[in-house]
Amino acid sequence: MTATINDRLLGQPFDRLDGVLKATGAAPYPSDVSIPGQAHAVLLQSPIGAGRIRAIDSTAAEAAPGVVAVITHLNSPALGEAPMTGLGGPPRNPFTDDRVLHYGQNVAVVVAERREQAMAAALLVDVDYEVSAPILDMDDPRAAVENNAWGLETHDGDVEAALAGAQVTYDGTFRIAPETNNPIGLFTTVAEWDGDRLTIHDSTQWPMMVRASLAAVFGVPEAGVRVLVPYLGGGFGNGLRTWPHTILTALAARMLGRPVKLTLTRPQMFTSLGHRAQSRQRLRLGVGGDGRMLAMDHDATASLAAEETNFSAIVIGSPEAYATPNVATHDRQVRLNIPNPSFMRAPGHAEANFAIESALDELSYQLGIDPVELRLINHADVHPRSGLPWSSNALRECLTVGAEQFGWNDRNPEPQSMRDGNKLIGYGMAGVTFGWYAAPCTATITMDSAGSVIVRAAATDIGTGTYTVAAQLTADLLGLSMDDVTVKIGDSDLPPAPQSGGSGLAVALAAAVQSGAAKLIEALIDAVGDSSPLRGKTVDEVVAENGGLRLRDDADAGETFREILGRHGLDHLTAEGTSDLAAAAKNAKMATAPAFAARFVEITIDEDLGLLRVKRLLSVVDGGRLLNAKTARSQIIGGAVMGIGMAMFEDTIYDQDTGRIANATFGDYLVPVNADVPDLDVVFVGEPDRFSPTGVKGLGEVGVVGVAAAIANAVYHATGRRMRSLPITIDQLM
Amino acid sequence: MAEFEYLRPDDVSGAVATVTADPDAAFLAGGTTQLDLMLKDRIIAPTTLVDITRLPLHGITGGSDRIRVGALTTMEELAADERVVLHAPFIREALLLGASTQLRNMATIGGNILQRTRCRYFRDPMVAACNKREPGSGCAAVTGAARMHAILGAGPNCIALHASDVCVPLMALDTVVQIQGADGERSVPLAEFYTLPGDRPDIENVLRHGEIVTAIDIPLLPAGMNSGYLKVRDRVSYEFALTSAAAAVWVVDGRIADVRIALGGVGTIPWRAPEAEQSLRGQRAGTRAFRAAAEAAIHDTFTVPGTQFKVELVKRTLVRILQTVSGVTS
Amino acid sequence: MVRAATKLGSVTEGTVILTVNGVQREVFVDNQTTLLDLLRDHLDLTGTKKGCDQGACGACTVHVDGKRIVSCLALARQYDGRDVTTIEGVAAEGELHPVQEAFVRHDGLQCGFCTPGQIMSAISLLEEGRASTDEDIREFMSGNLCRCGTYPNIVAAIRECADRDGDR
Repeated sequence: MTATINDRLLGQPFDRLDGVLKATGAAPYPSDVSIPGQAHAVLLQSPIGAGRIRAIDSTAAEAAPGVVAVITHLNSPALGEAPMTGLGGPPRNPFTDDRVLHYGQNVAVVVAERREQAMAAALLVDVDYEVSAPILDMDDPRAAVENNAWGLETHDGDVEAALAGAQVTYDGTFRIAPETNNPIGLFTTVAEWDGDRLTIHDSTQWPMMVRASLAAVFGVPEAGVRVLVPYLGGGFGNGLRTWPHTILTALAARMLGRPVKLTLTRPQMFTSLGHRAQSRQRLRLGVGGDGRMLAMDHDATASLAAEETNFSAIVIGSPEAYATPNVATHDRQVRLNIPNPSFMRAPGHAEANFAIESALDELSYQLGIDPVELRLINHADVHPRSGLPWSSNALRECLTVGAEQFGWNDRNPEPQSMRDGNKLIGYGMAGVTFGWYAAPCTATITMDSAGSVIVRAAATDIGTGTYTVAAQLTADLLGLSMDDVTVKIGDSDLPPAPQSGGSGLAVALAAAVQSGAAKLIEALIDAVGDSSPLRGKTVDEVVAENGGLRLRDDADAGETFREILGRHGLDHLTAEGTSDLAAAAKNAKMATAPAFAARFVEITIDEDLGLLRVKRLLSVVDGGRLLNAKTARSQIIGGAVMGIGMAMFEDTIYDQDTGRIANATFGDYLVPVNADVPDLDVVFVGEPDRFSPTGVKGLGEVGVVGVAAAIANAVYHATGRRMRSLPITIDQLM
Repeated sequence: MAEFEYLRPDDVSGAVATVTADPDAAFLAGGTTQLDLMLKDRIIAPTTLVDITRLPLHGITGGSDRIRVGALTTMEELAADERVVLHAPFIREALLLGASTQLRNMATIGGNILQRTRCRYFRDPMVAACNKREPGSGCAAVTGAARMHAILGAGPNCIALHASDVCVPLMALDTVVQIQGADGERSVPLAEFYTLPGDRPDIENVLRHGEIVTAIDIPLLPAGMNSGYLKVRDRVSYEFALTSAAAAVWVVDGRIADVRIALGGVGTIPWRAPEAEQSLRGQRAGTRAFRAAAEAAIHDTFTVPGTQFKVELVKRTLVRILQTVSGVTS
Repeated sequence: MVRAATKLGSVTEGTVILTVNGVQREVFVDNQTTLLDLLRDHLDLTGTKKGCDQGACGACTVHVDGKRIVSCLALARQYDGRDVTTIEGVAAEGELHPVQEAFVRHDGLQCGFCTPGQIMSAISLLEEGRASTDEDIREFMSGNLCRCGTYPNIVAAIRECADRDGDR
């Protein structure tokens, strides 16, 4: 029994409901919060990459104007351990002991009446370090290696035999620089205690996780911890952990008995939060003369912090990318003295795709098969590991529609064959398979006597459009107008919802809202009088429209919500919906489909100066049912821009003696600017997914995947030179 | 961050006297360098800031052959000046390819000339080894991650780049800097204004403490001389140059009658290329001559692994801008 | 590490009188206070955002005497007597500025954090007459970073405003 999607409002390109608040500067972000009486905290971070703190003298800092406390590992209480989450273990607690494990590790928190005072005093904290040589190179033999930490390696068939028997083999090594998420919003925490109750404004994509973490760390009841984040200034995965600075702010507030606010500086955004791990991949493929992939051996190594548990799994999606009978994946991390690598948009997938799609491009030239055709030949008509049918799959359409719309066949496929004056022209493409991950979700829908509803869930809108799509879906399911729906999210006191991350929130929340709408309709039917035509009907026998319910087969037999609630004098009626798609997937008898896409790009390269510029970029995407065509397109565009950054600019550079990040500013760490980005074309194809209750597949991350490979492939087409490491910069191209 | 006194004198001589008298005082103009280094990077800490922005050092005077630009004229204002547009368009190009509009509305020409290097080792107090901050402490950039760094006028003591764009065409034009100090006024050609790092990278120019740049005099280009500025960088916009070149060329009957060349993104100071100019005068305009000029321009380089590519890139940058301004691409 | 003592008897704070969004405001600030912090911390005008605090992201863009600047590199004391407009001051009471409206309609915002700075820049860009081509819009909007990557939608919003104003 489900509430029916009417497609009346769903999918329509409504303006973002929070657009006006954001365009007027009225949307409150964590850094905009101030609480009367708050003190300001700043972090003092380690200038060494490894070693030990011999002594800390904070006398001068404590005596400085306005300073209320200097907190270090020497005077902080023992902290509890935050629990494991669905996305892995927590970061190492701050101030655990005297060891320094990376440059920029938090060494002290200085709290003062004003931020300027705290900053000045932080310079007066005298820390005596015993310096060790940090391990910073993934090839350093001293570095500890972790193998198959998640147990997700695949060993299917006999890869070595298949490689040995293949007519054409491929063996390539790929490197990707560490990238830093760098949302524009500086991560901020404002913490206020009332006894054992904590209210905390925090830059997070996952309020429930922060609540559980802080409750465990401080040994207080979870129900007393409230995490608020109505608006987050971007995250891209940075908000999927409870980071040390959040704990330290709450700690300072608890020790001082007053509210404390802390905002990271831009350089601290590089050391205090996660980033995309540095990676190295070796990919071996065995292919028949007809282009069919017989074997894949994908071996990936990623960087990992010295004592952290964020094992970046590069090969996670490789086994389901193509119809390859024999597959082996190897997942490995190397421990370095670096800040904690964690999640950054499409972690693992974006990296692995670069290797696989670059390799296919190389093979296409070797085999003399068009790159689009080669992907169609290897298309996985069923899930390549389980053999189950996909719940949806329009990858073929992505490829063919894309080729058609882009004018792919108009190009001369010969490398270095196309030019415009000094500029070489290159076309490149890539296929994309991106698995989303939906965790259990709850949402309540409360209808008042006027027939308006409030949807509640402890979810967040990180810029993806959660407020808007939740309202659209609710209005669509209940026959309401957009104005009748209010969405309340960004508060851990609301019904439990998962993270905005893994591209699964929209899927999980939509399913929960749909379930809640069905239950609300059921409750409304239960509330009708004996004489009502709705009496005794099931949800499937009625239709919600025009602010009421009517019989599906009789447009005139119905009642308005106002009438139903008014008759019983009900001020409001609440129903709770839930979804657990991970559990449902186990019995689905089909393979839950990832999002699919194809990328087509045209680039130019100035032959003499090495200037690489993107001229056109087309994304054709199968995201299942779209909740809002406008915000969906924005997700793809935004991902593509980050993909341009990955391909051409982004590289977090460590000084090899100290582990200092040599480019931890926006002047030095380059992200794409407006002028780097042409108009980006987006086409959606495909059908509502059969497994996802609302037909929705996640779109938050698929946008970034495949851009780097398409650009690198275009560079090959333009120059005849194969780029196997990212970013691709002028010095490599000139 | 140290606290400081803020003063706003009424006239230039008062400002000069105040700073001259106090070794820990500094001038404050547009603020985009000074405040960044003081309040954000925290590598300088004057105890008195003397705000000169209300002094009468604004505006542009002169004619079609020469202009005087008040030191407090902003980058946007100079870029919009009609004489510049008509008689030295490469100044406008260089200005508009630098920074962002917001910064160009704040940053002054005086401040641009005096801007400090973007070297991240210089700008990070956590880095101990920086001869520019602390002579004798060493240079972390030489063994570090250097890319946006100098290859000309550089050495093991310092590879900090002078990152100005507009100074490149200003150098090519024989701009003169007007200076006022406690002892009076003096003029210094821009070419003699900057000092190479040598063993004192902390000293960047001939300005004495308390002296103020009041204006610059820019000789404009004669009619018939085409000019252009080419900036090569990773991003399309809003990034310092990896390499750049300013060139003005007068081609008569296919031969180069006169030429001015300066280079950016490569020097510890804005880099005039007299050998290139010399090699081109009287030559037939063409890629062969341009390449020879580029070879003549680049010598005595000091590179580290991250800057090696600039040696060739700057030559190609110069060849390209010469092709563009001469209209001869073969 | 730089440490410098303040001179004995020196005054390290003072009053700034400036017009903000048409209203004269008198604010007592520490000399270190930037215009950005004055707006956010002293006047509670938190629409102007801090994204890097080093003049590199454009999130703090405001107008001073009609020109766009980055307020994070502006010393508050220096702006005594000046006329400042922030995102809170661009719209007439109860309605949106046409640029704000166009940003919403074209989805020229996602997380929204850079948006006030983008809009302040866009309003200036139109006044500067730099919206005549898409290439110009992109170039002269490049001082405002958007990590959500909504640039093409920002360009579309500005393009529409320029078309309507007859600037193209």
